[in-house]
Amino acid sequence: MAKKLTLALFSGSVDKLTAAGVILGGAAAEDMDVEIFVLLQAAFAFKKENAMVNSRVAEIVDKKDEFLASLDRLKTPHWTEAFKTAKEMTNVKIHICGFAGKVWHGEKLDDFIDLADDICGIGEYMTSAESADINLFI
Amino acid sequence: MTQEELVAIDVNKSVDARGTSCPGPLLAAKKAIGQIDKGQVMEVLSADEGTKRDIPKWCNKKGFEYLGTVEESGYFKIFLRK
Repeated sequence: MAKKLTLALFSGSVDKLTAAGVILGGAAAEDMDVEIFVLLQAAFAFKKENAMVNSRVAEIVDKKDEFLASLDRLKTPHWTEAFKTAKEMTNVKIHICGFAGKVWHGEKLDDFIDLADDICGIGEYMTSAESADINLFI
Repeated sequence: MTQEELVAIDVNKSVDARGTSCPGPLLAAKKAIGQIDKGQVMEVLSADEGTKRDIPKWCNKKGFEYLGTVEESGYFKIFLRK
């Protein structure tokens, strides 16, 4: 039986989303089952109109330009690409928190990028996290 | 395996991941491992320092045999047997 990673993804900033993408890559390499719960600010980043244009960073904000340039220099895939790659390589489900969606005027699954699988409540996360081998909050 | 044995080994699959950073080389190895048969040898070329530790750990978890690493100029070759 595959090991399971649950990720409570709160951040909508590209630095933390990129870090999440790196961890997803590690989970994909090990064929882990992954369940991602997109909470509050992350739901902003998952909105169709925001995903590719959002360039906010959460930390070391004064070095944002240097950070983003380094991602380009290192040919780092955009976080959406990293998430997509992980979905192609292992069992990854991405759930949008219903409350978070409403905060950003996303009522329907179609309001979010295609990576999202469904809209759910917090009970889904609690149930899944109970049986996870690794549980992270980013 | 010794460095001499690694340099001389017949490789069934070569994966050039020198243009990628972590976790790129690991994911490239994961994608390529399905293209070789059990018992065959694969080499992963990487310039990402973390890969030198990641691949042996990954081999251990997935049941592959890590054979060793050869340092080249500006990159390294990691050998494993499926």
